Amino acid sequence: MKPQNLIALLLFIAGAAWALTRSEQTVRSIQKTYYNSISYVVKSGSTFETTASEFVKEVEHSEEWKARYNLAKEELDKKRMEVAHLRKLEEENARLSQALKFQKEAPFDVIAAKIIRRQPSTWWHTVTINRGEKQGIGVQLPVLSPEGLVGKVDAPSEDTSTVILLTDEKCKVSAKVDGTPELGILSGQRGLTGQDPVLKLSFLSKDAKISAGMRVFTTGKGKLFPPDILLGTVTSFESGPLYGEALVKPAVDFAALQTVFVKLLPHSLEEEYR
Amino acid sequence: MIKYIISVILLTLAACLLQQFLPAIGGLHGARVLILPLVFLCAAVTVDFATMLVLAYLCGFLWDSQHTLGSHGGDPEIYKEQIESLSFGYSIILYAMMGLLMQGIQPLFRKGKWHLSSLLSGIAIFLYLFSEYLLINFVRGDFTFPATAFYRIYLTSALTMLFSPIVFWIMFQLASLCQHTIRYDGLTRRSRYID
Repeated sequence: MKPQNLIALLLFIAGAAWALTRSEQTVRSIQKTYYNSISYVVKSGSTFETTASEFVKEVEHSEEWKARYNLAKEELDKKRMEVAHLRKLEEENARLSQALKFQKEAPFDVIAAKIIRRQPSTWWHTVTINRGEKQGIGVQLPVLSPEGLVGKVDAPSEDTSTVILLTDEKCKVSAKVDGTPELGILSGQRGLTGQDPVLKLSFLSKDAKISAGMRVFTTGKGKLFPPDILLGTVTSFESGPLYGEALVKPAVDFAALQTVFVKLLPHSLEEEYR
Repeated sequence: MIKYIISVILLTLAACLLQQFLPAIGGLHGARVLILPLVFLCAAVTVDFATMLVLAYLCGFLWDSQHTLGSHGGDPEIYKEQIESLSFGYSIILYAMMGLLMQGIQPLFRKGKWHLSSLLSGIAIFLYLFSEYLLINFVRGDFTFPATAFYRIYLTSALTMLFSPIVFWIMFQLASLCQHTIRYDGLTRRSRYID
């Protein structure tokens, strides 16, 4: 081996050992710097993506209307276009009203956030939202939607945050089955794709009276998630030698999710938490 | 040489930014094009050993900064079994191993057989993802290997490999701009007899 290659190898090993032995705090600090440096690019990319997708939709609509124009009168088409536009506005209005209603009616302080990037890594089920430490987002804060629990914040940077979804194995939630005294731990399953996610509710009694269709809620234990937030619906239950295990279909449609709400810490707990 | 190395490092950083906008394809079991590993693999075959290690360190560091999850759990009384994450820095080692694999066929690449390197980049990405999945199983216990995980690894490698000729073409253009020769033997005639 050439001397310069040997020196490079030794330096590489030393550098790798340095990286592998960093503390959690140092890693978080490195990640924060990294996310702060790319957040502008990611945000701009998300805006560009939205504009591009709106443009494509616009083009598709234009072609559709053009085809109809050949068949119908110009005035009728104009009216139809207006109606379509109004419907779009109505849908958007309904969606925003629902979000606003959730924000107003939630028994805790929440902040709305938009998903700007979906599943950026190969194995973890995560999304990036456009809210960060500047807006009061902190590590482990619960992320909700009107349908139910979405996940928890993993790494907040200044302007953006990474959220671990409920479908990830890493996001464990203390859960109860509605109408039964059964408590368990709900988590995602390793290696499964996010297209049709199924969650696993473990540590139930082996002779639990659980049937398909029963709803699963958070217990509020574990100091992570608020109680009585809908998690999903039981699809099947299997009794094991020690514990029972149920498969749960999540309440939230993660593929269609656009706006989420992050539950902020009460001001009294904020200082203590920090 | 130095100009070429700097341009390759810049290309790697650009690939890191581009990676942010390459989504997982739901219909293909969440497969995606891994442009950063691909640029590293294509670069690894064109540079010397020391530069390959520098690139492996840079790419692994960026990759882990992007993907490392926190180790925080919850109340230990409720969350008795904490789910471990892969520690920061493991990708540096995996990138170096992929780079070594690519360096192994450098003599063939220098003879002009870039298509073999292209094929090997797909194999290297398959091995990288497979090792990563095995590591996850190792740190979390309870070995599971669902078919969807295999499809994701396989389709990601295949998709990424399809883009390797483009990356090689960019590398050749960069080399040409920097007046650096990365492919020698296939382009020169050698005397068969020693004078």
